[in-house]
Amino acid sequence: MFTRPLLLSSKLELTRCFKFPQNGMSQYPSYYIKPIYSNDKQTDLIKSGEAQKLAHVPTRAALNDQTSSIYHDDLICLLVNYLMKDGNKLLARDLVEKTMEKIKRVQLEKYHKLANEEEKEKVVLNPRAIIHQAITNVKPILQLTPIKRGGVTYQVPVPITDRRSQFLSMKWLIEAGNEKERTVRFYDQFAYELIDAANNTGRAVKKKQDLHKQCEMNRAYAHYRWS
Amino acid sequence: MLNSLVRRSLLRKVPVQPIILPVAHLSLETQPLERLQSFRTSENNPLNHSDDHIGQFYTIPSEHKKKLFLYGGLPRSYDTQTKTFNESCLMIRKPSVDVINCLRHVDYSKPAVRFILYGKKGQGKSLSLAHIIHYGYSAGFLIVHVPWVGGWLRRCQESSISEFKPGCIDTNLDAAAWLVHFKHQNSHLLDNPDLRTTQDHVWSKRESTPKDVPLGELVDHGINRIKFASQCIVVLAEEIKQLSREGKCKTLVVVDGFNGFFYPNTRILTEKKEVVHPKNVTVTEAFLNLSRFDWKNGAAVVTVDELAIAEKDHISHFPRYLLGRDGFEHMDPFVPVAVPTYTKLEFTSCMDYYRERRWVLPLDGQDEELQFLSAMNPYRLMLLCNSV
Repeated sequence: MFTRPLLLSSKLELTRCFKFPQNGMSQYPSYYIKPIYSNDKQTDLIKSGEAQKLAHVPTRAALNDQTSSIYHDDLICLLVNYLMKDGNKLLARDLVEKTMEKIKRVQLEKYHKLANEEEKEKVVLNPRAIIHQAITNVKPILQLTPIKRGGVTYQVPVPITDRRSQFLSMKWLIEAGNEKERTVRFYDQFAYELIDAANNTGRAVKKKQDLHKQCEMNRAYAHYRWS
Repeated sequence: MLNSLVRRSLLRKVPVQPIILPVAHLSLETQPLERLQSFRTSENNPLNHSDDHIGQFYTIPSEHKKKLFLYGGLPRSYDTQTKTFNESCLMIRKPSVDVINCLRHVDYSKPAVRFILYGKKGQGKSLSLAHIIHYGYSAGFLIVHVPWVGGWLRRCQESSISEFKPGCIDTNLDAAAWLVHFKHQNSHLLDNPDLRTTQDHVWSKRESTPKDVPLGELVDHGINRIKFASQCIVVLAEEIKQLSREGKCKTLVVVDGFNGFFYPNTRILTEKKEVVHPKNVTVTEAFLNLSRFDWKNGAAVVTVDELAIAEKDHISHFPRYLLGRDGFEHMDPFVPVAVPTYTKLEFTSCMDYYRERRWVLPLDGQDEELQFLSAMNPYRLMLLCNSV
């Protein structure tokens, strides 16, 4: 009988003491810190003595794609998430892994074709390096925003945040991978696109250049951003 | 445990003679050290492979590969790897070396010895078999090799009612394809004038193969008259046994996925849409005949594989379960050879090979991580390394 009011009071106390995070859906109170799952970072913390301090701070559980594997790569996890449809992460991850396999096969074929030892060394065989390079190459530095001035909507070039440009880059790469014959596998096409983009050619890079060209053409409207 | 005991006791019966190596090989004390450092051996002749080579990779010469595996026999994933790696290398592993050792020392005047390779999925049964086939080819055996029984009974191309045995079903297209495979693998032996048919074979009113013609002609007949291909295999099996009995050839029967012959649910249907039991498929008879021990100058090496049966029945990988009672009694007594996961040595050697081929980039702690993730399973390791 008397447990109920007790519970209620403690709940009230909680609401008074702590500010809940803005995202009301989070199951963690705001004072929970994010987990440090990378092996390197952990060793650094232990060396500097920070780990002792963090040992008793309440910590969130790691997400299921945050592992201490030596092959963990934040950017590629993000790519998997952007590729994912309907929460089917298994498929998305599988596609990215198969893409990396295809990249390796294509690059190794190039490698074996070359006779010269020096030229062989220049072929990039690391699929992760190629993906990173491709994403950097496709990142735009400006984008167009519609702004209404005097009843007319102008496409105004505006600077872009790094995160947005990274998102656009990956989006365009994935779109380029999807533009294919029905009989071609996505991961094969995606691999070719990534290799092309890493060499600064291909459809995704073309898209970036087109956007830059459009921005250049609309430079006269640039002042609409602030006036 | 029991299996290893049975296996050991069976192996003990085989007189193991020391292999005589040139003095230069024996006197070098550095040999073990050299072996540890190298994951590759230059000894490409499977006749000379011994326990010393375990864990090392050897190259199958491309002309041998074309001859033996042109029409199947190597898993498809292995084929893509060889294309990428620009060479076809096989790891020399304990089970295949054991079988080769036995084949080397078996008394061929005694009834045929049967070996059964078994192991979980992806542990290298088919590739061990490929190594043994390569040995058989180098040692001059007549090779009767079925690349994959599942291909006949679970994915057959067409079926028709047999004319020769009432109630039986022919799978003629597959049978003809196999005859082409057999002819290609043994083209160098079929020219041998000793290999002649021992009986008359009447196919129809007008067609017959007389006694005392080269075996190649019998095979050709099966290929040209696809209608008789299945029956041709049955006849060919009997002829091969007879020739081996007479000592005109040594025969190595190699069947991958042998348990398929005893699994009741095939995907072959009669005209009334009833499932055909494998014993009612004509080609089955031929290979059951070849895997009996009522002949000499021959040996059979077969694998039992979960993948040769329907997925719902992948329960155990042991021969007793996979062969069932009938199959087990048919094969008994046999030498069971377990194909295990990689040992530490084999694992390191495999990773070294991948690194040398630039398939995997060297990274600290890589071996340890992959070892745990793959649980030392060769196929799973290959899959993991694909995206690394």
